[in-house]
Amino acid sequence: MSTPTGLGPVPPEMPADELAVANSVPESQGRLIWRRFVGNKVAVASVIILLAIIVFSFSAIGLGPIPGWWKYGYKELNPQANGGNPTLSVLPQFLGGNGISLGDHPFGQDRIGKDYFAMTMRGIQNSALVMVVLGLIATVLGVVVGAIAGYYRGIVDAILMRVTDIFIVIPALVIGSVVGNWFGSLGAPVLAIMLGFFSWMGIARLVRGEFLSLREREFVEAARVAGASDMRIIFKHILPNAAGVVIVSATLIMASAILLETALSYLGYGIRSPDVSLGLLISSNQSAFQTRPWLFWWPGLFIVSLALLVNFIGDGLRDAFDPRHRRFKLSKMRETRPEPELETAP
Amino acid sequence: MVSFILRRILVSILILVAASFLMYVMVGYSAQPLQDLQGSNSPNKQELINARVARLDLDVAPPLRWVLWISGVAKCAIPFANACDLGSTISNAQVVDILPNALAATVQLVTFALVLAILLGVTIGIITALRQYSGLDNTMTFVSFFLYSLPAFLVAVLLKEFIAIGFNDFLRDPVIGGLALVVIGLIVGAIWQSLLGGDAKRRLVVFLVSGLATSGVLLVMSATGWFMRPGLGAIPIIVLVAAIALGSATLLAGLRNRRAFITAGINAVIAIVAYLTLQPLFDVSSAGTLFILAVATAAVGLLSGFLAGGFDRGQNMRVGLVTALLSGAVVLLDRFMQSWGDLLTATNGRPIATVGSKTPGLSGDVWLAGLDTFAHLTLPTIALLLISFAGYTRYSRAGMLEVLSLDYIRTARAKGLPERTVIVRHAFRNMLIPLTTLVAFDVGALLGGAIITEKVFAIPGMGSLFNAGLDRGDLNPVMGYFLVVAAMAITFNFLADMAYAGLDPRVRIR
Amino acid sequence: MSIRGKLFRKSLCGVAVLGVAALTLTACTTSGSTGTSTDAAAGGGTVTVAVVNDFTSFNNQTPQSNLDTNGQVGYLMGNYGSAFSYIDKDFKIVHEEKFGTFKKTSDDPQTVTYTLNPDDKWSDGEPVTADDMVLSWATQSGYYNSSTTDAASGDVVSGTQYFEIAASTAGLDTTAFPTVSDDNLSMTLVYGTPYVDWELVNPIGQPAHIVAKKAGLGSAADLTALMKGLPKGDTANPVAADPTLKAAADFVNTGYDVTAFPTDPDLLVSSGPMVPTGWTPGQSFTMERNKYYVGGMIPKVDKIVMRVIPDANAQVTALQNGEVDIINPQASADTLTALENTGADVLTGDQVSYDHLDLRFDQPVFADLKVRQAFLKTIPRQQILDSIVTPVNPDAKVLDSQIWVPANDAYADSVANNGSEDYAEVDIDGAKALLAGATPSIRILYNTKNPNRVDEFQAIQASAAKAGITVVDAGSPDWSSLLEGGDYDASLFGWISPGVGSAGISQIFSTDGGGNYNQYTGTNDDAIATQTTLDPDELIVLEKKMDKQMFADAYGLPLFQLPGVFGVSKRVSGVEYMGNQTGPFWNFWQWSVSK
Repeated sequence: MSTPTGLGPVPPEMPADELAVANSVPESQGRLIWRRFVGNKVAVASVIILLAIIVFSFSAIGLGPIPGWWKYGYKELNPQANGGNPTLSVLPQFLGGNGISLGDHPFGQDRIGKDYFAMTMRGIQNSALVMVVLGLIATVLGVVVGAIAGYYRGIVDAILMRVTDIFIVIPALVIGSVVGNWFGSLGAPVLAIMLGFFSWMGIARLVRGEFLSLREREFVEAARVAGASDMRIIFKHILPNAAGVVIVSATLIMASAILLETALSYLGYGIRSPDVSLGLLISSNQSAFQTRPWLFWWPGLFIVSLALLVNFIGDGLRDAFDPRHRRFKLSKMRETRPEPELETAP
Repeated sequence: MVSFILRRILVSILILVAASFLMYVMVGYSAQPLQDLQGSNSPNKQELINARVARLDLDVAPPLRWVLWISGVAKCAIPFANACDLGSTISNAQVVDILPNALAATVQLVTFALVLAILLGVTIGIITALRQYSGLDNTMTFVSFFLYSLPAFLVAVLLKEFIAIGFNDFLRDPVIGGLALVVIGLIVGAIWQSLLGGDAKRRLVVFLVSGLATSGVLLVMSATGWFMRPGLGAIPIIVLVAAIALGSATLLAGLRNRRAFITAGINAVIAIVAYLTLQPLFDVSSAGTLFILAVATAAVGLLSGFLAGGFDRGQNMRVGLVTALLSGAVVLLDRFMQSWGDLLTATNGRPIATVGSKTPGLSGDVWLAGLDTFAHLTLPTIALLLISFAGYTRYSRAGMLEVLSLDYIRTARAKGLPERTVIVRHAFRNMLIPLTTLVAFDVGALLGGAIITEKVFAIPGMGSLFNAGLDRGDLNPVMGYFLVVAAMAITFNFLADMAYAGLDPRVRIR
Repeated sequence: MSIRGKLFRKSLCGVAVLGVAALTLTACTTSGSTGTSTDAAAGGGTVTVAVVNDFTSFNNQTPQSNLDTNGQVGYLMGNYGSAFSYIDKDFKIVHEEKFGTFKKTSDDPQTVTYTLNPDDKWSDGEPVTADDMVLSWATQSGYYNSSTTDAASGDVVSGTQYFEIAASTAGLDTTAFPTVSDDNLSMTLVYGTPYVDWELVNPIGQPAHIVAKKAGLGSAADLTALMKGLPKGDTANPVAADPTLKAAADFVNTGYDVTAFPTDPDLLVSSGPMVPTGWTPGQSFTMERNKYYVGGMIPKVDKIVMRVIPDANAQVTALQNGEVDIINPQASADTLTALENTGADVLTGDQVSYDHLDLRFDQPVFADLKVRQAFLKTIPRQQILDSIVTPVNPDAKVLDSQIWVPANDAYADSVANNGSEDYAEVDIDGAKALLAGATPSIRILYNTKNPNRVDEFQAIQASAAKAGITVVDAGSPDWSSLLEGGDYDASLFGWISPGVGSAGISQIFSTDGGGNYNQYTGTNDDAIATQTTLDPDELIVLEKKMDKQMFADAYGLPLFQLPGVFGVSKRVSGVEYMGNQTGPFWNFWQWSVSK
């Protein structure tokens, strides 16, 4: 199902000139994709905002021993000022850029006086960390497993895919809870790595599908005749052609990673105090919903923003790689189900 | 075919067994079932620890304990022996005994959410595809992305705080203010005009009419205390049923098909007659009665369509079925609404619940019980369906757009078929094919999402079982949860493949 | 036109046939009842209380069923903890004399006589007799047990384990087979060695006539006769198990564990003020008034419903939404404000559990008294209290005794003399002076899953650093299994003080006590002596001595009692705060519902 069904009619969404380019000069594929992506205003804006938020969060409170420009740390206890209310008096333009100077605790303070702005920034850092680490590990593992299975086919494929099935049977949140319950207290990086080890199955499926079809193409045959090793064929010849699938699903895995971490923290299986994650902030301040709503809304705002931005980027990438909307990849990464053993009748 | 199914089942079982090993060992090594005892200052702490260790075989390493566990599970395969042994919880409840209750609660929740998500998602997906790049399409695209990015528990908490408590507070003095009426009117008007489309003038008319009508109806409802004593009444029911008949005949068969209109008309008349005459029967109805009535309604619909016949019996039967079921639903809705007063009394005037799935101690007829279930499950269902709703909208929009760009649709249009026929009869079916795959996957996602929804709404389902088990280090209920969820995921995948093969003639099973 | 007419007739005929068939069928499925009732109409009304755990067993005394909700149901059913006496909100034992009386008639040997009210009946109409008390004694004393268990697997390797019980058998295990009066209404227990907590023994549990029936015996008297004939269990020389008593014990041990409302009415038999009448597993447990109950705890309300709501926030919304009347959620300042905003009555107080910091005497770093004192001087107890407890309970004070909580009478007196004032304030300079330049490194074990402990740890770490003490994070989610033999120097966790009784003292403060993870030996003799001291005044003297000794030895520091909060709907009155596991139920008979 994931293989293209051949040249279809020109869909209405694709401008005719782009199609012409696509068909004429194969070398410019990368540039073409880049141009299409850059043409997508929403996606480009999303990239910019996402990077801005992440850079902002890292610069604000620093990372590890490196201090940031914000005066409080996320673990520091401060005396309760202003009754813990946010001191941000002007609604920030977009990122809080001009609101920061307006007070000691722009986002308020939590119950024991920690600065909520610093905590929210730490939460963003951790979400970003989980997103990137989980996404990378899942992608690398998925690509390796999928590539080997798709390239070698036969018994290797059968074994690897059955192993994939075993992992896939457990819903993401369930396995995430178990992993989180086990490793959550070891800190965000460990948690992200461990979650990554259990999130690669969707990509493996997709990559395998791509490899199964790509390995039959002439250029692979040519490389093989030229004496290229299997590894070289897999990584130098086939993989670049499957890059679209990989990049798009990696992005979407990252979006779901944010939500997964959030949900786990909410259930108490994610990042643990004194470290901070956005989900944990919401979870531990849920009772403050009516009394001190800012404790609830700030992390909520950033969770939704991060996930939304990454989803927009994913959508933009998908459009760029495959402007015909041939495959509905938005949900592809979620589509972690055994491939039907079906064949297409001739 | 048979060999394919058998092979598939065998492989599924092996996968399930292997996955259960993985899960068991992971949970087994991470769980701390003795935590509460180890930290206690009870004088006989050691005896208590010993008792629990003995009861749950905690001295056996998890991989070996899995063997004990799986051999108990294997007994489930013995037909009629009733020898199933999924182990017991720390509190000495057999997992086999507690699973059915939990399963029922979750299945109820997940089923409603799944069906609603598909219906709503596909409908909106198709409409946005047909109105591509319109304001509605862009809005819905953004909304579905937004929902996609919204953590489930955030939605659930917000629903509770605003809808449940807000609506119940509203019921204390159910009067809609002037500003609210205007705003609601504006919103509804805006939605309708973008749904119906057309040129500026038409849009304006639609906007005004629908907006004013909505506000007006709400005003009347608010003024007459409708929210305390809701009901549809004879005239609105007749109008609604007539509209349903007209709508389904038009949509499914087209304006020119006289037989379809006869079928729809017959069903509408029957529905109205049934509404007027069956009220005494309704008063003494049980769930069984309603089921039989529903079957009878469907049969009447099909039969009337069949008898009206004509060159396209199938189409008429569909028209009959849809009209009969929808009209029947309206009649039932009216009857349910009549029990609203009882529910208000039983819940101290606060019917929309935030916890559990039924009001304790509520004893009433099927209508009150049904309404009570509705009042409890509406919010969790909404919270759950929003997870998958976005997926269906995106999928079906994209699917519809793709199908519409295919040659055979162009052919159908070229040969002069009306647009309605092209979409309903040609495009719709083919659009559904890829959706089967999504449904199968979605079941897994919904079951996972239920963990959170059940926690927020205190519903004692599978999710709570899992969550509580994992928290307490109680391995057996967690594994019971896993078995059911994994088996359901596998089954739905299998069914999806079957449906795929059934819908797509190009695919055959090897 | 003709086509349409024909069609119409044809369709109508077919439809009519179907309709008649359907109607006939539906007639068979109708329910008779037309009206609706909500059961709320009758007299005293219904009170709905949120509980965290679901109900699992009608016998809350077994190791597997010793859970809060089961205990609360048991409290309402009159077994173990509410028959002859109950504990009030000030942690005093109140004798409930209408149900029956008990008193100590002799100190040497310690003799206690329990006498029932002749009108006491079980909820199935059978009288409550001394047979019931003997069964309860047999259950709680472990008299017949002769088992030896294997430490690793917990399996019984020799002898017979009859009744399994979560509570300790200590105290009752020295009693001889009780004497029963001729009218079968009173039972006399004679203790082999004096038992300090004799007043907490409440010998009404399971109905003996039901247990006898399940064991295949004719009557409760037969069961008593059987038990009277059996020897005391001897682990050294176990005799063969008695099959009838074993059957009875097995029924008591596991027969009351349920996963659905029992179809067997025998399981529901109650001697207390309420009887169970309904249970929707996972959702709600309903109890109604027991018309046979003649004791003093007769409830004003008709019905008490326990609603299972595990999530604290969900409890608050449920109270706000009128779905429950009483909640006992995990306390936080926000919960408190939210409750106040909803217009509910808010009751705050202390829970029976308290957090404490203990130092391990077997670790080299703490071998020197000065290091222990210096470290304790840096503990910012007031700051910890202010950040964790004060927002919920503004009146809260730092806990200053290892033995008592402020609710106990002896607390104030003991605190004045026990030397705790040395650690009243953080004293960095004093600590530095004691350390004399040393910079010890201390590893603290705590539960990283508990946000309070994490906050406590951080506060201690920051404060100790000022005195040059390096506090190393040895926290773990698996902290409980590390308590015994883990690699740490100090620990931060909570004890549950029952508030009443002295059984816990030897457990924690004697050298071989199961709760003494610190290898502390300073109070061993006194701690053991408390268990056999019957004179209350003498006992207090002993305990005060221990309290003082521990501060002198720099044993560790108690930090604070966890704050607790009840939210009570305006329609219910009479609810009072209680910090122990019985929670709001402790005075259920005083609740009333306003119309």
